[in-house]
Amino acid sequence: MTGPGHYFIVTGQTGFGRSAFVMTLMLLSLALMAVRAFYLQVLDAPFLRHAARREAIETVQQEGHRGMIVDRHGQPLAISTPVDSLWANPRILLKEPAVWPRLTRAIGWRTATFEKALDAQRHEQFMYLRREVDPRYAQRVLALRIPGVASQREYRRYYPAGAVAATLIGFTNINDQGQDGVELAYNSFLSPRRGRAIVVRDGLGGPIAVRRGREPPRPGHTLVLSIDERIQYLAYRELLKAVRYHDASSGSVIVLDARTGEVLALANVPSFNPNTRSDLDSSYYRDRAVTDVLEPGSSLKPFTIALALQSGRIVPHTLISTSPGSYWVGPDKISDVGNFGLIDVSHVIAESSNVGASKIALTTLTRRAMYRNFLRLGFAHSTHSGLPGESSGFLSPPDTWEPIQKATLSFGYGISVTPMQMARAYTVFADGGILRPISILKAPPQSPGRRVFSRTVVSEMRHMLELAASPVGTGANADVVNYRVAGKTGTAHIADTKGYHRHRYVASFGGFAPASDPRLVVFVDVRDPRKHGYYGAQCAAPVFRKVMTGALRILNIPPDNPVTTMARAHTRWS
Amino acid sequence: MADTTNAAVMRRPPPLDPVLLYTLATLLAFGLVMVYSASAFVSVHQAGYSTYYLWHDAVNTALSVITLTVVVRIPTAVWRKISPYLLMAGLVALVMVLIPHLGVRVNGSARWLSLGVINIQPSEFLKLFLVLYLAGYLVRRKDRLSEFTHGILTVATLLMVTGVLLLLEPDMGSEVILWAVAFGMLFVGGVRLSHFLAVVLSGVGAGVLLILASRYREDRVIGFLHPFARAKGDGYQLVQSLMAFGRGGWFGRGLGLSIQKLYYLPASHTDFLFAIIAEEFGLVGVLFVIMLFGILVVRAFQIAEAARQDGDLYSCYVAQGVAILIGLEAIINMGVDMGVLPTKGLALPLLSYGGSSTLMSCTALGLLLRIDRERKAQGASR
Repeated sequence: MTGPGHYFIVTGQTGFGRSAFVMTLMLLSLALMAVRAFYLQVLDAPFLRHAARREAIETVQQEGHRGMIVDRHGQPLAISTPVDSLWANPRILLKEPAVWPRLTRAIGWRTATFEKALDAQRHEQFMYLRREVDPRYAQRVLALRIPGVASQREYRRYYPAGAVAATLIGFTNINDQGQDGVELAYNSFLSPRRGRAIVVRDGLGGPIAVRRGREPPRPGHTLVLSIDERIQYLAYRELLKAVRYHDASSGSVIVLDARTGEVLALANVPSFNPNTRSDLDSSYYRDRAVTDVLEPGSSLKPFTIALALQSGRIVPHTLISTSPGSYWVGPDKISDVGNFGLIDVSHVIAESSNVGASKIALTTLTRRAMYRNFLRLGFAHSTHSGLPGESSGFLSPPDTWEPIQKATLSFGYGISVTPMQMARAYTVFADGGILRPISILKAPPQSPGRRVFSRTVVSEMRHMLELAASPVGTGANADVVNYRVAGKTGTAHIADTKGYHRHRYVASFGGFAPASDPRLVVFVDVRDPRKHGYYGAQCAAPVFRKVMTGALRILNIPPDNPVTTMARAHTRWS
Repeated sequence: MADTTNAAVMRRPPPLDPVLLYTLATLLAFGLVMVYSASAFVSVHQAGYSTYYLWHDAVNTALSVITLTVVVRIPTAVWRKISPYLLMAGLVALVMVLIPHLGVRVNGSARWLSLGVINIQPSEFLKLFLVLYLAGYLVRRKDRLSEFTHGILTVATLLMVTGVLLLLEPDMGSEVILWAVAFGMLFVGGVRLSHFLAVVLSGVGAGVLLILASRYREDRVIGFLHPFARAKGDGYQLVQSLMAFGRGGWFGRGLGLSIQKLYYLPASHTDFLFAIIAEEFGLVGVLFVIMLFGILVVRAFQIAEAARQDGDLYSCYVAQGVAILIGLEAIINMGVDMGVLPTKGLALPLLSYGGSSTLMSCTALGLLLRIDRERKAQGASR
C-alpha cells in the first residue's frame, strides 16, 4: 500500500507537492513559449520578415497611356482609351463557392462554363474573367467585393479616322508598340514611361498601401501631325472612289502646303480599318505614297523642260517640230499619241509631246546636267519624311545612259520615284524655285531650302503648266472653278522584270493652285486602272480637281480667278 | 440600528480577489480590441462592414461576464451536487452534435449545436463539467485512489467514451485538453504514479496511432514539422503565423497594422489571434499575454492550496482543474501559433473570438472567484 505517491498523501504533503510540480510545469511551459517567441521575433525575425515581404510586397509596373496623335487642328487620329481587364485568383475563388452566382451574373458567364474554367485553373493564381472592358463596368464588378477578383488597367489604341488615315498613322501591337506608319516612326516619342510602385498587397491581392520609391508613370507625348483631317478625309474619299471606278489596283494622293512643305494629306488605297484589323493582308498596311515606286511618265516632263529653260538654250516660244509624231533614236522609236506638228515649248507640255520633250533634252541638255537636276529635285534620295519603309527610288548614274535612256528620261521613263518625291518636286514650281524638306509634323523648323530653278523659269513654267491644265491641255479635267490651276498629267506603262506591259498603266497628275500664288501642291497616282480609261487625264486629273477644290475651300484660300466667278454668277442669274 | 448596520456588514460578501479580477478584465478587454483588429478586414469582406465579429464578440463577452456574476453567487457545494448531471448533459450534447440537422458542420467538423440564434460548442463545456465531476470523484474515492480499478480505470473509461465522441466530430484539440486535464487532476489528486504512468503512456501511444491512422492529422503534423517546405499546402497557416511573429519584432507594428490578418493568416481572430498580437505588439505584447496567463495559473493554484488547508478538498480540486484547463489551453494555443505544437482548432481562452470558449472560461474563473470568496468568508466568520 505504500509507494512513492502514497508517501506524500501520508505526510499531508502530497497535494501540494504534486500540485506545485504541475504548477511549475505549467509556468515552465509558459516560459518556454516566451523563449520561443524571443527566437521567432528577434533571432529568426529577419528570415521571417523577408519571407513575409516577398509574399505581400510587390513592385508593380504602372502603365501610362501612349501619346495621342492629332492632326494640325488637334483632331485626334490615334488615342489610347483606358480599359480594364478583370481577373481572379482561382485559388481564392475556389474557397468561396457562395459568391460564384453573384460573380457569374456580374461578368455574364454561364455557371457551367465558369466552374469548368475555374477548375481548369485551380492551381493558378491568375485567370482573366473579362478583358478590355469599360472601366465603369469593371468598377461595378469590383464593387461586389468578391474575394480574389481584381482588375488591371490597360490601354486600347483607337483610331477615330479609321481607314482614312490608317496607312499613314499605322498601328500598334498588343504591347502598345508602334508597328507601322507614324506609330512606328515616332514610337519612342509616343511611348509612355513606365511607372514603378512598391505595393503592399492583402491576401486577396488587393493593394493596401504604396511604399516609397514610387515613380509615377509618364504618359507619352502628344504628336501633332501636319495633316489636316478634313483634307485627309476628302483625299481618301475621292481616291477610293476613283480607284473603284477605274478598277485600279491602288492609288495615292498627297497634299502638300506649298510654302512650308507640310504634308496636309497622305491617302492610300487600299487601306484598312486599324480598329479591327484581324483578317487583313499585310499589303494593305503599306504607305504606298512613300514605300512604292513608279515610273511617273509625263508628269516628270516639266522638270526636263524647266532645266532646258534654265540653260537658256530655249524659251517658251521656241518652236519644236514633232512631225510626224514619232522618230527613231537608234533602234528605238519614240512616239506621241498623235502628230502635233510644229509646236512651241508650252504646247510640248500642254499636249504632252514625248517627241518634243526628248528632242529638247537630246539637243540642249547634257546627261550630267539632267542627272544633277533630278538629284536636286530630290529624286533618288529619301525625302526624309521619317515614315517607315520609305523608298528612295532609283536613277542609274549618267555615265551609263545611252541616248535612248536620256530621251526617255525626259518624259519620265527609266527613273523610279515615289509619289512623295513627285509631290515634293512640284513644290519647286509652287514655291519660287526652291525645294524644301517635307514634313509630316506641324510647324517644322523653317529650312531655307535649296534653289533649283530661277524665279523667271518658275514663272514661265507656271504659265505652261496652267496651259496644260486648261481646256487646251491634257489636264483639262483638273480644272478648279474660280481658281487658276497649274499641273501636268502622266500616263506610264507599268514595267516589271519582263519589261513594259502593253496595257497596264500608272495614271498620275501633279499640280498646284492657286497658280498666281500657289498654296497647295497635290500629286495623285492611280495604278493599273482597268475600266473607264487609263490616261492621267481620265483617272488622276479628276481626283486632283476634287481634292484641290475641296482643300482650297476648307483652307479658305481666296480665289484668284474672280472673272470666272462673276461670269458664272452672271450667267446663273440671267 | 446598530444591528441592521451590523447585519448589512455581515451579509455583504467579501470582495472578489482583485488579482484575478483585474487579470480577467485585462484579458477580456484586450481580447475585444484584438478581435476587432484581427477581424475588421475579413468582416468587411464577408459582411460588408468592419464590426461584424466585434459585435458578436462583445455580446459574447457581456453574456460571459453576466454568467460570471451569477456563478460567483452559487455555492461550490451546489456545483458538486449537480456535477454528475452536468457531465451527463455534456455527453448527451456531444452525441447530439453528431446527429445531422441537430449538429452544425463548419469546415467538415461537427462541433456545434444550433440553439436558434447562437451555436454552442458542447466540447468546451464538457471540459469544465469534467473538471467539476472529477473533483467530486477524487473526493469520493479519496481513500481508494491507490487501487487501479477504483482509481484510474474508471476515469480512463469515461475518457475513452468522450474520446470516441470527440474523434467522431472530429475535435482533436478538445480531446487532448480533456485527457490532459483529467490526468493532471488525477495526478495532483494522488493517484499512484505507476498507474498514472501506465495510462498516460498508453494514451500517448494511442494518440500516435490515431495520428498515423488519419491522413488529415498526419498532414497537419508533417505540415507542423516542416512548415516552409509545405508553405503553399499544409504548412500554409503555420508559415503565415510564423511570419506574423517575425514581422512583429521587439515592439510590434502597432495596433491595427498587421498585414497577416489581411487574408494571409486564416482564423486570425480565433485560433491565430496570438500571432496577430505578436505582429501588432511584438515580443513585448507576447510576454504581456504570457504573464497574464502565468498570473492566472499561479493564482488558481494558490486558491486551491488555500482551500486544501481549509479542508475543502472539492474546491481545491476544482481550482486545480481550472488552473490546468485554462493554462493548458493557453499554452497549447500559443505553442500551435508558434509552431512548437501541431495545429489544433483551439482558442486562446478569454482573448480569442468564440462564444462557447469565452463563456466556459468566464464560468471557470467565476468558480475560482467563488472558491476564493468562500475562503475569505470562512476566515471572516471565524
